[in-house]
Amino acid sequence: MLAGVNLTLGRGRARVHILKDIDLYIGNGEAVGLLGPSGSGKSTLLMVIAGLERTDSGIIAVNGNELNRLDEDGLARFRAKNVGIVFQSFHLIPTMTAVENVAVPLEFAGVRDARERAKLELAALGLEARADHYPAELSGGEQQRVALARALAPEPAILLADEPTGNLDEATGAEIIDLIFEQHTRRATTLLLVTHDAALASRCGRLVRLRSGRLESE
Amino acid sequence: MRRLRPIVAARMAAREMRGGLRGFYVFIVCILLGVAAIAGVNAVAAALIEGLAREGRTILGGDLAFILSLREARAAELAFLKNQGEVSRLGTLRATVRTTQGEAALVELKAVDSFHPLYGVVALEPTLSLAQALGREGDVYGAAADPALLARLGLPLGAQLTLGSVQIQVRATIESEPDKLSSGIGFGPRLIVGDETLRASGLLQPGSIVRWQYRVRLPVSKQSEASVLAVTAAAQQMFPEAGWEIRSRSRAAPSLQQNIVRFTQYLTLVGLTALLIGGIGVGNAVKAHLDRRRRVIATFKCLGATGAGVAAIYLMQVMVLACLAAIPGLALGAALPFIVAAFDLPLPLAPALSGDRLALAFVYGMLVAAAFALWPLGRAHDLPVSALFRDEIAQEGNWARPRLRYAVATGVVLALLIGLGVATAYDRRIAIIFVIAAAAVFVLLRLVAQLIMLAARRAPHLRSPVLRLAVANLHRPGALTPSVVLSLGLGLVLLVTVIAIEGNLRRQFLSALPEHAPTFYFIDIPASETNRFEEFIRAHAPGGVLQRVPMLRGRIVAANGIPAEEIKPPPDVAWALQSDRGITFSDALPAGSQLVEGEWWPRDYAGAPLVSFEKRIADGLGLKVGEIVTVNVLGRNITAKLANLRSVDWQSLGINFVMVFSPNTFIGAPVTSIATLSYPAGSTRLQEGGLMRAVAAEFPGVSALRVRDLLDAVGQTVTTLTYGIRAASALTLILAACVLGGALAASQRQRIYDAVILKTLGATRMRLLAAYALEYLASGAAAAVFGLLAGAAAAAFVLTRLMHLSFVFIPGPLLLSCALGTLITVLLGLVGTFRALGHKPAPILRNL
Repeated sequence: MLAGVNLTLGRGRARVHILKDIDLYIGNGEAVGLLGPSGSGKSTLLMVIAGLERTDSGIIAVNGNELNRLDEDGLARFRAKNVGIVFQSFHLIPTMTAVENVAVPLEFAGVRDARERAKLELAALGLEARADHYPAELSGGEQQRVALARALAPEPAILLADEPTGNLDEATGAEIIDLIFEQHTRRATTLLLVTHDAALASRCGRLVRLRSGRLESE
Repeated sequence: MRRLRPIVAARMAAREMRGGLRGFYVFIVCILLGVAAIAGVNAVAAALIEGLAREGRTILGGDLAFILSLREARAAELAFLKNQGEVSRLGTLRATVRTTQGEAALVELKAVDSFHPLYGVVALEPTLSLAQALGREGDVYGAAADPALLARLGLPLGAQLTLGSVQIQVRATIESEPDKLSSGIGFGPRLIVGDETLRASGLLQPGSIVRWQYRVRLPVSKQSEASVLAVTAAAQQMFPEAGWEIRSRSRAAPSLQQNIVRFTQYLTLVGLTALLIGGIGVGNAVKAHLDRRRRVIATFKCLGATGAGVAAIYLMQVMVLACLAAIPGLALGAALPFIVAAFDLPLPLAPALSGDRLALAFVYGMLVAAAFALWPLGRAHDLPVSALFRDEIAQEGNWARPRLRYAVATGVVLALLIGLGVATAYDRRIAIIFVIAAAAVFVLLRLVAQLIMLAARRAPHLRSPVLRLAVANLHRPGALTPSVVLSLGLGLVLLVTVIAIEGNLRRQFLSALPEHAPTFYFIDIPASETNRFEEFIRAHAPGGVLQRVPMLRGRIVAANGIPAEEIKPPPDVAWALQSDRGITFSDALPAGSQLVEGEWWPRDYAGAPLVSFEKRIADGLGLKVGEIVTVNVLGRNITAKLANLRSVDWQSLGINFVMVFSPNTFIGAPVTSIATLSYPAGSTRLQEGGLMRAVAAEFPGVSALRVRDLLDAVGQTVTTLTYGIRAASALTLILAACVLGGALAASQRQRIYDAVILKTLGATRMRLLAAYALEYLASGAAAAVFGLLAGAAAAAFVLTRLMHLSFVFIPGPLLLSCALGTLITVLLGLVGTFRALGHKPAPILRNL
């Protein structure tokens, strides 16, 4: 739930009001598509919900956690427990194998059998044979599947996907989107999908549009 | 979620290292060389000290040595010594020998008895026993001489010389003496004669400056350290007024031991400077590494890592790398004494692996790595995660200030580093001065760098694009300016300091003698011959100025009631207590002295003994005017009241004494004189040689010491010592070059980008090269000018305040070193840049 959220970035003449009076409520298990042109503030809104960017004003509450009240370490703990993120550029760690990449959030959360659970996650996405490969040895689609497995491994309450098909060809992108929705349904995870693509967004149960930092319509 | 467990941090750090060591080479070199420098210095010193200890009894010539000045042991004292074990007596003095042609040479004479040496062997060429070499044949006594003596006089083996009033024949040359190291710096070649020869020579006049050593070899059953201590204690208790200096085998050559420790300290400071310069390289490398890992760091944070967790992962990585770099550094340092030992130096090196000293160097390395890594790591704590979403180009230098906790941690590590440096220092005052100076230089160099960048930022619009590019490069984010100024500046400050000190020492000891410096010292002028001697000099050295004062030798036994052994003076005055010192008496304030406190005694003073002290020594011993000093002279304790304090101009090289007594103190004592002869109008070598021969012929018991020869002997020692310091200073410049190379490598991507864009816009390679050369020249020259000024200031401080000498700015070598430093910067910079210019624009532009 976001209420009266405002965010400005930069200093002096470079200061930009990025998010303006955002009020948004997303229910548990909902799938929401966030649409908007470049520079409209979509990614920033995603960062605010993930507790990666602090706002100037307003209230942000996610899965019972009021983010404004948490300090940096509290936000890190919140993310580890509640949020999974899939990026447009995958952002896998190049020096780690697929299974190690998936295990990272579990290890940060202090899970003892992180590696075993990571293997299971990879298997669930059909990547058990690629577990010991480094990102550079994987195709773009495989990399994004590893990134999805990593985002889902800690069983997050909310999955944030930032243009997840932006760096993939159409067919591979479609596969990834199918996987995201399949996992959303199977795990009853709340999904917030940021995209330019209206067709893709329409697969979500609900659409939210952002223009120049303001929510336009639902 | 709990705090990041160390095992998880370690795992992440290990995985992060799979990317290889690219970008860490400079880091590794900096830690490796810095640790090697400190470990090497410590290992060589340990090997020397261990060697001295192991060879202690050979170097000392016995388990114990009882040293007396001016007098031999009394019957009771000798009986006591003989009761302890086998005793060997030897006398040492400076004397002059003459050839049949009238050539004269000063020798360090050693008269030995038939028991010498108690330990070790005197190796002679040809192979003779000492008894064969030194025995009497008819009227001629045997002798063994340093080959240098024969070479100096141009004589063959078997030649005859006159010593005092006897004829001696050099039957052998000395290849090695077991006890050579305990005898200190010699002002002439060694000549060994028999005890009987010395007694027959007539050189033993009342008051002659002879040191008598009684060396004792304890029986096998009583050779423990406890026995040595027990004998020492018994000797002190039974003969409290003997005034002898008792040395045990564990303190065989105390001044050498002390010099080794002091020298080590200076070298350690140079090593620490090297490590500090390396620290800049460490900081740069860590910052560059974190710059490259921005996305990974941001990903870690998105996946639930806290800022502290991220800092922990990379700190662990840095410390593991530092450990890995330190190990070969330690190996190199530990190997150094073995390498030095291979050069067959005349020093008792006992190379061994000393765990605690290596551990100390390791700890230094780790602390420097942590001190310089924590700041950039602290910045990574708050690295924004936005890069992952906005896909922005990671900007170098776009870092926040680290949180307070990292600043505090850096402060704590620096405090530990300083604490360790000061705690393990031989002279804490010098260590503290070094810390303050290093901190000041660091801060000033940062300021210089900031000023250059500020000036470049504020510079008016320049019409020349080459100049504009050079000025922009000086201040843009991620500019090389701070790295160049800091590393080169620090390296040059040290180099200039060392060169300036060395140059000044040479100037003062070797080339330019003080204006009124004497040409000769004459020692052992018997009281009965003083008038004849003065007349002789007046006749043979017209135009010369002779100054003569009486001289005895005495040991300070107690100051204000506190026994000398219990006084803890600062290291720079400790020498006054170590052994016997020359003392004199006078009814007037000696020339070259100034009264700074108290009053001089009246001419006809006849009261209780009074003494005048040199102020610095009195301060060091905690003595104030009116307090009591006890000095043992000729086996008698003399208690005198401190009447006044003087400041002494030691550099005049005139006759100066720490202690001057009121004349009534020594009435009736056997006294010889010491005299100086100066030629205000100058003298020639021929003139000096002629006078030396004439004095040797007329006064066989008087020794003439040419000041120039003495200074040559000191100068040679200075030269040997400076080799070590020069090598260590050169190391700092190598490190500075490494740091510079590292900084260049880190900015290579930015340079390639700049070069490609500018080439696309029509800039020729020559123009770009000129712009880069100007940039390096500006920052290099600023570092050089600062290095020159700060180095000269540091040298002036060391020379005037710590060594109590004068300082003169010697421009030639200093300017040359600074010019070289600047040239290295420009060349290194251009080599790096040339590679950047070689890139073809198209492939780079496609990937931008």
